[in-house]
Amino acid sequence: MDAVISGLSAGFAVALQPFNLSLVLIGCFAGTLIGALPGIGPINGVAILLPIAYGLGLPPESALILLAGIYYGAEYGGRISSILLNVPGDAGAVMTTLDGNPLAKRGEAGRALSLSAVASFFGGTFAVVLMSLSGPALASYAVTFSPSDYVALMVFAFASLASLVGSNSVKTLLAAVMGLMLASIGIDANTGVARYTFGIPDILAGIDFLVVVIGLFGMAELLHLVEQQVTGKLKPLALDKSFVSMKDLAFTKWTILRGSVIGFFIGILPGTGASVASAVAYGTEKRVAPNSENFGKGDLRGLAAPESANNAAAGGAMVPMLTLGIPGSGTTAILLGALLLFNVTPGPLMFEQRPEIAWGLIASMYIGNVALLVINLPLVGLFARLLTIPQQYLTPLIAVLAFIGVYSVVSNPHDLYMITLLGVFGWILRKLDFSLAPVILGFVLGGLFEDNLRRALSISGGDWSILVNSGNAIMLYVLAAVVVVVPIWLGRRKKKVVEA
Amino acid sequence: MADRVFAGAILVIALLYTYIAFTVIKAPFQYDPLGPESWPKLLGIVASLCAIYLIARPDVERLKADLGTLGRLALVVVMLLAYGRLFEPLGFLVSTWVFCTAFGIMLGAAPLKAFAFGAVTGTVGYFACTRLLELNLPAGLLNHIL
Repeated sequence: MDAVISGLSAGFAVALQPFNLSLVLIGCFAGTLIGALPGIGPINGVAILLPIAYGLGLPPESALILLAGIYYGAEYGGRISSILLNVPGDAGAVMTTLDGNPLAKRGEAGRALSLSAVASFFGGTFAVVLMSLSGPALASYAVTFSPSDYVALMVFAFASLASLVGSNSVKTLLAAVMGLMLASIGIDANTGVARYTFGIPDILAGIDFLVVVIGLFGMAELLHLVEQQVTGKLKPLALDKSFVSMKDLAFTKWTILRGSVIGFFIGILPGTGASVASAVAYGTEKRVAPNSENFGKGDLRGLAAPESANNAAAGGAMVPMLTLGIPGSGTTAILLGALLLFNVTPGPLMFEQRPEIAWGLIASMYIGNVALLVINLPLVGLFARLLTIPQQYLTPLIAVLAFIGVYSVVSNPHDLYMITLLGVFGWILRKLDFSLAPVILGFVLGGLFEDNLRRALSISGGDWSILVNSGNAIMLYVLAAVVVVVPIWLGRRKKKVVEA
Repeated sequence: MADRVFAGAILVIALLYTYIAFTVIKAPFQYDPLGPESWPKLLGIVASLCAIYLIARPDVERLKADLGTLGRLALVVVMLLAYGRLFEPLGFLVSTWVFCTAFGIMLGAAPLKAFAFGAVTGTVGYFACTRLLELNLPAGLLNHIL
């Protein structure tokens, strides 16, 4: 507990420096703007702005504070386009449309937006509090992990990814493996042997993380937006004067709490972020709530549950990233990649070696959540007006931002072609129902996975049994089996119930 | 069908990847029990198996995009490649101006408005990024003026 208090006070000392404080506010504001734009969610927003933040030459803790602000700002902002436009910015906001949009259609958009802002605030704050309490303990436990334990942790991460993300687990697995394969390109750090470089000097050091992120998320999103614009289905509903009442909050308080708990714990699971959390929270709420027949027609609980869950998951996903170096979601995978760009290795030692980053970030999230609530309640009309920005101006701006980002960091015109081609690849993947987040998770974790596997086998002199030699590892393999088997079992049972 | 074509392409890449792992990649000394080739071998085999499964049991029939949409997307890709090609020679300001005007018109903006939008994006973007944020952007054609 002492460690938590001293860590937090050190963190607030970092986050309250005027410069960092203004970055928190800028990040939250920019994040809400981006989240509110139709079709752009946290992951695309962070991907598009990451190179620019990197190019600014900020110290790592400041850059991370800014990016994290954009991340959960966009989680807040996502509800605006979901509710008023029925267009979720990303998978995590899909559930918000189910009851949020019917409320807005009924002329209660203001009530829906303010209630979801409060639910988001509660979910986000709940997650940060649990993060500060559990982070240091988890980190000091993870310090004892051996390379073979890390291998088990990765297996668990990929198992939960394949089992919980996307509609087809083979596709999710293949997406993750494609990410791992991309990461294997370049010089092998252990032996100096070049792998899959085909004599091209540009990729000897590996494919640039920024290029992959911008291509797969920024440019693929751009193509997706053009496609949607062509089919023309965007018409925002008007914002009215209705507002959330104390009665509404009293009515949804247990929903919000349940959503936050579910969101946080699902967020912690490696690889599964806001999308799974909000879906599970919505489903649970529908099952446990009394008289749930209004779900999907504008029930306040159906709005509060996914909104508290996806913000709690955004915080929860930070926990494994900061303490284990394993991102809890696609967006935190990008944040992890950002830390690596700054030569900071996230993981159990970060709380001891770079406390200004770990604790500064956590403290900034407390401030950010309050700031977001304050920004979002009175200014929601301003953000709602963004929805009326014509797509023909918005879409080119995404391309311009992506080009600025890649060029200002890498300064290699070939990378401008690379991001376009990767964008086409990402668009095809999306069209074929692949999720893109596993690709980036695989890409970020590839080096770590291989290094730990090789280190473990070096320790044992090539004996594979070292992988199952510790209690930690066995527990993680059991957990991996559980996350794979339980959803299948639940699915079978549901089918039986339906048939019977 | 779309799934099968894609999975087939991935399978070819994965097999090639695996083949290279088994034949080309070799360390001059045995540094560690696995060496640089075992991990790619493993990945290649898993990827190939996944691709074979998808060929056997595809779940997306068609790309669900008509020819008109695909044509427009192809046009966007061409514009992006051209933007990338002209980015350095013309400089950020001019290339962005041209690109935003063209893209805006393609997406249905009135030509004059798109032209003005391009001008504002190029000019404001250039000065905001280079002067305010101190990012590196090419000056290109306007090298002497800017």
